[in-house]
Amino acid sequence: MPDFIANFELTPWWILGIKLAVVLTIVPLGSLIGGYALHKELGHLQHRLGPMHAGGFHGWAQTLADGIKFILKEDIIPAKADAPVFKFAPVMIYVPIVLLYTVIPVDSKLIVEDLDVGLFFLLAVGSIPVIGTLMAAWSSANKYALIGGLRAAAQLIAYELPIVLSAAVVAMLAGSLSVIDIVEAQNWAFVIWPPGIGLIAFLIFLAGAMAEMTMPPFDMPIAESEIITGPFTEYTGMRFIFSFFGAEMAHVVAFAGIAATLFLGGYKPIVPLEFLEVIPGFVWFLLKTMFMFFLMTWIRFTLPRLREDQLQKFAWKYLIPASLVLILAAGAWVLYAPEALWH
Amino acid sequence: MALDSKDIKGVRSAYDEGKLVPGGGDALPPPPANPGSLHIDHDKLRKQRKTTFGIGLLKGMAVTIKHLFMRNTVIEYPDEKQDLSPRTRGVIALKEENCTVCMLCARECPDWCIYIDSHKETLPAKREGGRPRKRNVLDRFAIDYALCMYCGICVEVCPYDALFWSREFEYAEYDIRELTHEKERLSDWMATVLPPPELELGAELPGQPSPVAAEPAAAAPAPAAAPAPAATGTTAQSPSERVEKESAPSAAAPAAASTPAKPDKAAGGAASAEPRPEASDGVASTPPGTAESREQKAPLSTQEGESALPEAAQVRVPAEAPRPVALEKTEDPQAVYDKVLQEQKDKGSSPQVAEARAKVARVKAERGIKRGPTPVEVDKPVPSAPTKHSEEESS
Amino acid sequence: MAKVEDVPLGGRGTDVLWPDEISTGDLETQEMVLNVGPQHPATHGVFRLLATIDGEVLVDADPIIGYMHRGYEKLVEARDYRQITQLVSRMDWLSGINNELPMWLAVEKLMEIEVPPRAQYMRVIMCEMNRILNHLMFFASFGAELGAITPTFYAFREREDIQYALEMATGGRMHFGFMRAGGLKEDVPAGFYRQTLKGVRQVIERLDQYENLLIGNEIFKERTIGIGVLNKEDAQSFGVTGPIARGSDIDADVRKDEPYLVYDQFDFNVHTAPNGDCFDRFWVLLHEVVESARIVEQAIEALPSGPILGKVPRVIQPPPGEVYVRTENPLGELGFYLISDGDKNPYRMKIRTPSYNNVSVLPVVLKNTFVADMIAILGSFFFVLGDIDR
Repeated sequence: MPDFIANFELTPWWILGIKLAVVLTIVPLGSLIGGYALHKELGHLQHRLGPMHAGGFHGWAQTLADGIKFILKEDIIPAKADAPVFKFAPVMIYVPIVLLYTVIPVDSKLIVEDLDVGLFFLLAVGSIPVIGTLMAAWSSANKYALIGGLRAAAQLIAYELPIVLSAAVVAMLAGSLSVIDIVEAQNWAFVIWPPGIGLIAFLIFLAGAMAEMTMPPFDMPIAESEIITGPFTEYTGMRFIFSFFGAEMAHVVAFAGIAATLFLGGYKPIVPLEFLEVIPGFVWFLLKTMFMFFLMTWIRFTLPRLREDQLQKFAWKYLIPASLVLILAAGAWVLYAPEALWH
Repeated sequence: MALDSKDIKGVRSAYDEGKLVPGGGDALPPPPANPGSLHIDHDKLRKQRKTTFGIGLLKGMAVTIKHLFMRNTVIEYPDEKQDLSPRTRGVIALKEENCTVCMLCARECPDWCIYIDSHKETLPAKREGGRPRKRNVLDRFAIDYALCMYCGICVEVCPYDALFWSREFEYAEYDIRELTHEKERLSDWMATVLPPPELELGAELPGQPSPVAAEPAAAAPAPAAAPAPAATGTTAQSPSERVEKESAPSAAAPAAASTPAKPDKAAGGAASAEPRPEASDGVASTPPGTAESREQKAPLSTQEGESALPEAAQVRVPAEAPRPVALEKTEDPQAVYDKVLQEQKDKGSSPQVAEARAKVARVKAERGIKRGPTPVEVDKPVPSAPTKHSEEESS
Repeated sequence: MAKVEDVPLGGRGTDVLWPDEISTGDLETQEMVLNVGPQHPATHGVFRLLATIDGEVLVDADPIIGYMHRGYEKLVEARDYRQITQLVSRMDWLSGINNELPMWLAVEKLMEIEVPPRAQYMRVIMCEMNRILNHLMFFASFGAELGAITPTFYAFREREDIQYALEMATGGRMHFGFMRAGGLKEDVPAGFYRQTLKGVRQVIERLDQYENLLIGNEIFKERTIGIGVLNKEDAQSFGVTGPIARGSDIDADVRKDEPYLVYDQFDFNVHTAPNGDCFDRFWVLLHEVVESARIVEQAIEALPSGPILGKVPRVIQPPPGEVYVRTENPLGELGFYLISDGDKNPYRMKIRTPSYNNVSVLPVVLKNTFVADMIAILGSFFFVLGDIDR
């Protein structure tokens, strides 16, 4: 056996291979199912039905049909575009999102790798798609794309901070950066307990996450009615899926899972009541993820979009100071709250 | 032209009290409460411009989530189709027998999309010593639906009632040349033409002085004898095809169908002594030429003996031929439907026409009306217009 | 390069971050010419705005129209009045029957035809129903341009019932071709009153929901209050009419100032708003829906019976003369200047459309706005391309 394989003491290489294969299956599957759920939810919120036709029963195969359609499309690269950068941008956007899935715990043992610095890994990897967006914008040789890209640059960087800070609050409350430990530390989900701190951290995280994924009300970069699709205007076919649509779906599902893990208790029941333990962990996790997805979609399709400077004002003047104050409060709680109050 | 409101006798909208539609129908939303309270309110505007701290966002989200749980009113085309009104401008149908090639439609069309060709023929004299008659014979009548703007001027202007509106709209083609419908196809569309609807309260009918504002009790939607039940018959019997979603005509029509029989017979009995002129066509198919006379009959049949109308209005002009005697049902109506549908499909008619003819046959079978030539033989030439048979007869 | 401070201010509120408050120091910036349109989701049709942008600030905006010019005023010289009805209905396609109205009023004025009262009331009912349809459409599109796509569907659902009522009567949902000299083409079928009342009352019932969704929404308010301010003087000098003018505190409504048909019989208000920004224009729009609903209710209540078409000669041939008739189109004042030389076709028909003037004021309003605001302002300027270009 070659040396480098023999050095994998903790995990046999073939188990790692299986885990990666599972992730690579779940990500597209999650985006497909998420996309379908999005269409249906959107339809019913707007007093219509959503997909009904593709696949027969309530159009379950709609996103699958869309995916096949996109594969069959012509690959167009604008003549003046910077081809290598243009082609690499979707990679830069999609791969980190896939990596996000590796540290989301579906159950106490169902995680690809329980890194000691899981949360840190999440936040770091979740920032990489920003570069991909900028690459897409600049290489497109399109003024609308440029405007969208510049807006995206400002917005995504601004909203990194609320996410990081509210995640830091969670880490402080749990006392660890490992996602499994964070879940285990939540007997009562952080949204509920400690009172106030958890809820406000959750809301800040929600706002930050929606802005990171450029969802309304923070979707200036891809403001559809103004600059068509912003940085991704020139992308077609599978590149479009990997840079925008599929990536967004995968990202939303990932962040739904992350929010469920950090704030809603992950694979544990929301409140530590005996009879709720009957339901297995992954079911709890899936329910919470679906709830988060529903919530994000619901907000997304109700609210108009904020203008760029209003976005920035919201982040810099409101969210970041609030999360800084929250860190102080969490620190005070961790240090001075008596043991009995902890759970 | 200012009109003084006290000089106008209004039609009382008794819909709010539910008097006009027997059985009520779908409940109307209530009239807006306190209509006088809306006034130019800049205070309200100022208040609405103030900032609220996020409450408005939540209220908006509450509105959307409510819609998630509301009953959905989507009509899933093509599995379900909307029940369109009879006047819907879908396609224009041609009744060839009535056309005298006067070219008025082609002249009046704003797009000049009607193509008519004709030639003059000399027919021998009908009687000994008469002079030979010249007639226009229609060679080609085509409407180019790629140009047509569906305005209806041709239908309106035709003096001989040869053009009708049908509500069929599903005739899209892959080749634009197929969008020019020739005479045969236009005649086929006649099977899908609906009779014109009854008019609303207060409408003046031709040949009739305007009636005094009708009493709510007598103002049940004026029933017309056969065509309305025919329309309801066809709509009620194909619920899978035409879903009635809050459509007023079909809501009014079943209501109308429940009341027509009695007053109709009563009025019919009262005026039975009068001679009934021959009707033009059969019963369940469209009697377009008699539309006016049918409308004349409308308010009378609701009176039920009331002498609200002046004497002159008592003269009755019946709408169509005497209702045929109901024979015993010989065939299962559904089997008739299938058979005629198959026949039409074999003949190559378009799907809407095939469906319409099959439905007509089924209705006739249900009522025990014998299928076959209509009481007025089409083969017998109508005195003024030549038909393809008249050439053989006269030659 | 012109500095933003040198450009005279117009069209901005004061509670937003001004471009000149952001100091770029000695940073050299370059302006970019951005073509908004003619194909663009936010412009209502093939409308082109040549925008010069400095970063996100619009330094100059030049509307370019004419992409949809169909030559109406020439076309009508070769058609008779009934045919023109069909054409003219396609000018402002959202307000179908309101386009036909001034033309027939002009013809009737020349020919001195008396329109029976029932026809007048019915014309009012249909015109007001169409006003509701038009305003709901702009409600839908304004929300969509700002990013709120959900109210679009609600508005379209409300439109359906009213459109069905009009379809019952006229046969069409958008282009009606229903007016004739001396009244309407034919009378309305049974069930029309019911369907109309149902449609109109549903709109009123649900209007609070829509208010909550948009007017009460903080984000919407941030996007529209203080944005796109149109001064009263500018509006008057450019000849802006309709809800846009009334949103800039101009109390002008042809239905009240020079009543035509039977508008003087009805009790309705004309809403004006003092501030002239996007929010006010939108506010006026929604309240006009309520007023139209009131008019429809009153009209159906007072609807007389009688003929629907007056005594008219067989051929509509106005005697030689000229007349100018203006009416309140949902978008503003629509005027027809008709010169007849005694023929079946008009000699000259000049059409004064509201959207043409409304759009001409855009360069003034769009100075020194953000790109995102430009979209909001375009959305709040209710115009239809067919109306501008004819």
